[in-house]
Amino acid sequence: MTSSPIPAGPADAGATVPEEFTIVSAPPRADCIADSAGGLTFDLDAPEGADASGHWSAALVLLRRGGNVVENPDDEVRLPLTPNGQGRLRAVLPSTVHLPEGRWDVHLGGGDAEPERLLPGLADLRSLVDRRPGPSTSPLAVRIPYTTKHGNLSLRSWQRAPHAEAGDLGIDAKGITVAGTLHRVEHPEAWLAGAVAEARSRRGAGPVRTAPVTATGPDFSFTFALAELGESWEGGPEVWDLWLRPADGSPDARVARLLDDVAEKGTVFVYPAQPFDAPYAPAQAGPFYTADNDLAIRVDERPPIR
Amino acid sequence: MHISFLIHNAYGIGGTIRTTYNLASTLAEHHDVEVVSVFRHRDEPVLAPSGKVRLRHLVDLRKGGPGYEGDDPEYERPAAVFPAAEGRYKQYSALTDRRIADHLRGLECDVVVGTRPGLNVHIAQQARRGVARVGQEHLTLSTHSGPLKLALRTHYPRLDAVTTVTEADARTYRKLMRLPGVRIEAVPNSVPAPAVAPADASGKWVIAAGRLAPAKRYDVLVKSFAEVVAVRPDWRLRIYGAGAEKAKLRALIDKLGLYNHVFLMGPANPLEAEWVKGSVGAVTSSLESFGMTIVEAMRCGLPVVSTDCPHGPREIIADGTDGLLVPVGKPGAIAAGLLKLIEDDELRRRMGRAALENSARFDPAEIAGRYERLFADLTGRGALRGSLHRTRGALLSGALKTKDASRSALRRVRAA
Repeated sequence: MTSSPIPAGPADAGATVPEEFTIVSAPPRADCIADSAGGLTFDLDAPEGADASGHWSAALVLLRRGGNVVENPDDEVRLPLTPNGQGRLRAVLPSTVHLPEGRWDVHLGGGDAEPERLLPGLADLRSLVDRRPGPSTSPLAVRIPYTTKHGNLSLRSWQRAPHAEAGDLGIDAKGITVAGTLHRVEHPEAWLAGAVAEARSRRGAGPVRTAPVTATGPDFSFTFALAELGESWEGGPEVWDLWLRPADGSPDARVARLLDDVAEKGTVFVYPAQPFDAPYAPAQAGPFYTADNDLAIRVDERPPIR
Repeated sequence: MHISFLIHNAYGIGGTIRTTYNLASTLAEHHDVEVVSVFRHRDEPVLAPSGKVRLRHLVDLRKGGPGYEGDDPEYERPAAVFPAAEGRYKQYSALTDRRIADHLRGLECDVVVGTRPGLNVHIAQQARRGVARVGQEHLTLSTHSGPLKLALRTHYPRLDAVTTVTEADARTYRKLMRLPGVRIEAVPNSVPAPAVAPADASGKWVIAAGRLAPAKRYDVLVKSFAEVVAVRPDWRLRIYGAGAEKAKLRALIDKLGLYNHVFLMGPANPLEAEWVKGSVGAVTSSLESFGMTIVEAMRCGLPVVSTDCPHGPREIIADGTDGLLVPVGKPGAIAAGLLKLIEDDELRRRMGRAALENSARFDPAEIAGRYERLFADLTGRGALRGSLHRTRGALLSGALKTKDASRSALRRVRAA
């Protein structure tokens, strides 16, 4: 939405009741359109004082959260803002621009002034829904704009090669089954042919469980038996991260869900936990998406039946 | 014309606020428009009218602000004018009685518009002579309590016009209320054209949006989707919104094993960017005073499968042309409606285009035009006729007051 929530009613000098006053310095809102290749286009109203002659030196400035631009120039990305031909300013972030994984806060910068945080406008992300990236071996670039809990505009970024995209999950007494698609390797079928799935525990010495992978073309599937994940469990939450490991010694692929418009998968893609009897005590196991949208399985205590 | 809206609280979020701002902003293109908010609890409104609309308040409830009036002794005393049977009665007080009365007696406008029953009662009693009095009904008469219906019967004869959001509710008003000389007119809510391009019918998603409240019957929608998935596992459902039913719906989705197909998305604003991600809209309510989300989806180019519940859906959807109406509370019927559109790409595309065209009648310019004609009619009446109607209204109103005190009248209205 391009409209601002700031009231701009003119003061009525003759009125007996005080009127709203115009507020002049509302932070600008940036509308955003995503293309299916992973590129983003930002449009915003030219700020007050913008030079109409075209010598406007402003830029959209992306700052990596938790980064330090002085020590690491890669923590800042500047995108020039140019007139979009409809009276607004436009900045383009093509998928080819390197944007390391993380959260990027979007600012408006111009000249020597301190960059000003931008507010989200209308985000048309329909081309990210059910995204199917084409074949390539360069890292898969995923950027999803989102509104922070403070109401500001930020981006989530991922750069992955190879990438194992998780699709439908199955949860039953047999175990947890993951179906997905492998991206960004030269011969997905050959890569998957000798590959195994690995569940890597975050606990203690980090035990690893493996499961065989079945594949059709770039599509894969594997199942982890609950009994196997619960073998060494002794109470409390135990998280297992999921990976695909190829036979040829090339880099492993993290199993994650990245190819849609949902910036935070954990609250939307929610799955039930399956109860089972671990050797130590009754337990349950269920898949979930981490804060980085990577897929993991949590083995935990079974809540009492109410 | 000079038009003055009176609203409960223009600084929050809600359907009435949104639709009042849409209307006020459009009318302000050609008229002098103000929105007067009884309460103000924050500095800036969450939603906002266009810059041409003047916004002010009558009672300041900004905690810690210099003008805070929540500690006024009058604010502690119950309201006498604002009807006790109104849902918001507890928020009103002797202070609001006085402030609203002062405001209405000092009106310097041509038309005053009330936006909820209690404020319409204030307007009926207190608006200065010579100002056309319009009371808007944003819900429906039939959902009001018996005592509130009685209060409205007593006071509404002094209004010049009552507007409802559906023809069905206008008929109920004509049938159950004795309002001679009061124009009763159905004017639907307006929905602006979305700022995004319409949907292209290609996304394999069904979209629903609204509060996760029992009346929305999302449990029925989830159950119906189990039947859809059995036939078309490639289609999925997104439900946008927050609410008390979330945990129950989550449990239902898990129980039916629909966690790969049905997603609770949480609240989204603006919604237009979300509608266009899908190709079919779904509304499964048991009751819709109007059906704002149906219009929103249609304006984004989505055909909507909606239950044929009272009151709005059948006045918005042309069944079989720009959407489908199905029986209330029947998962099988909803699934059949959804599958009809899912299985037939050409039908879905055609109905989507028709939805886009037919929903243009809800554009703020169209709706404001209808209000403009109504206001012009009301203010164009000769002063003599206006005062005659008022006198008659006052007499009748007095007569009804006496009559309504009797038990038979009470029963009759309640039975309605």
